[in-house]
Amino acid sequence: MEESKLSIALDINSTCAKVAFVIISKSMNSPTPQFVPSRLSIYEPIHQIGIWGENFKRNGNPNTSTSLIVEVDNKLENESETTSHEMLAPTNNYEQEASKPIDKIQRRLAQNREAARKSRLRKKAYVQQLENSRLKLIQLEQELQRVTQQGLYMGGVSEGSHIGFSGTVTSGIAAFEMEYGRWVDVQHRQICELRTALNAHISDIELRILVKSGMGHYFELFRMKSTVAKADVFYVISGVWKTSAERFFSWIGGFRPSELLKLDPLTEQQILEVCNLKQSCQQAEDALSQGMEKLQETVSSTVAGGPVAEDSYIPQVATAMEKLEALVSFVNQADHLRQETLQQMSRILTTRQAARGLLALGEYFHRLRALSTLWATRPPEPSLP
Amino acid sequence: MQEAIPYKSYMAATAGGRSRLHNFLEGAGNGGEHRLVANGCENSVTKLVVENAVIVFGRRGCCMCHVVNRLLLGLGVNPVVCEVNEEKEEAVLHELSVINGGGVQFPAVFVGGKLFGGLDRVMSTHITGELVPILKEAGALWL
Repeated sequence: MEESKLSIALDINSTCAKVAFVIISKSMNSPTPQFVPSRLSIYEPIHQIGIWGENFKRNGNPNTSTSLIVEVDNKLENESETTSHEMLAPTNNYEQEASKPIDKIQRRLAQNREAARKSRLRKKAYVQQLENSRLKLIQLEQELQRVTQQGLYMGGVSEGSHIGFSGTVTSGIAAFEMEYGRWVDVQHRQICELRTALNAHISDIELRILVKSGMGHYFELFRMKSTVAKADVFYVISGVWKTSAERFFSWIGGFRPSELLKLDPLTEQQILEVCNLKQSCQQAEDALSQGMEKLQETVSSTVAGGPVAEDSYIPQVATAMEKLEALVSFVNQADHLRQETLQQMSRILTTRQAARGLLALGEYFHRLRALSTLWATRPPEPSLP
Repeated sequence: MQEAIPYKSYMAATAGGRSRLHNFLEGAGNGGEHRLVANGCENSVTKLVVENAVIVFGRRGCCMCHVVNRLLLGLGVNPVVCEVNEEKEEAVLHELSVINGGGVQFPAVFVGGKLFGGLDRVMSTHITGELVPILKEAGALWL
């Protein structure tokens, strides 16, 4: 009850305020001929707040209650006009003096109603804005929770890098992180399957299927990386999507292809072939690394170039951006190299050896992730006295 | 094996001749790449392709091109590198497509007068071990 009275009082001129206050109170308590009882009941502040409260609770139909309020307002205004007209109509010259104070009262009432209406509209707009913000906040919280969960699972930090990016980039990254979380789960399952299969001595044909799906799983990761690299290549290269220990070994957004080549036992022929592969792999890695260095030099000199004066660096930065697009090619080429090395290994090795190799590789990364988690949860260093 | 270059071809310093001379002087695997800027004369591009065992065409300052060159150098090949200016890019690409009979993209590696491929192909053939024999056959490698 107090709320709407207060809002009305605030909005109108202070000299009128007390008058209006009195008039309203009077009209509430004693229905006068000018005000129809039904109108009074609508005009009652409790009912008004009731309308607002329902609006808020229902959270769905602000429109219907708005029209109700508008209707009410129109009604009020129409009737106030008719009543004031009624009041003015019988005025004669000798009654003008007598009707003036009543006229003033009527005018103040009209002003009061107008102010009240405006106040209600403002309140409605404010509430609408609040509701929109609330919805947005819920969405953001949900996304943050999901991203944080992924981050916790991987034992790393991933949200920090998203601040300031456009919606598409963030959603591309969020999608990748979800997919990668699933990828790790599937990877773990495949490792267990391989281990069981190797211990159970299943046939080569069946093993071949496992090997193929294992390799295909890595190729799937390269595809995922390629997609998110187009959205934000720095994200891929920084390796924030991996655990901290994996990141330590990161080379152009992933593991070094030569890391695939820790294997035994091998026949003599295989040793030779693996040796050759190792060398080729190393050469290819070196070539790519040197290309990356060249790119760094190029970008660095582009950014540093030009006059040192303030605000004159835009062309340099724009040019540097163009050059940075080459980074996407580097990520793709690095993944291509990983893929080719994996395939060559599968050609050199027997099915069983390939299965063991995949198991060893998967186990290796699994242990790196465990190391990261352990590292993340290590007890804090004792503070010095 | 390294051949003695007769005086005549030393004087007829075409791009191809120059690279062979440098091979002789510097030995395979050492020394820099040879940067050429494609000028307007289209014939020179075809000439380059035909006369050189290995030639790499790429945009000026392209880092992928750099990767290809580093890889080839690491193998002991001394590739001729043709850095194409932006303005000449289309013309050169067009002419290379004519030679190839199909589309060409930078960086483009020509071996033995034919289009070999881009960085992708170089990488995969290198890993599978096919690259070195191909280069040897084309006379780009003498070891």
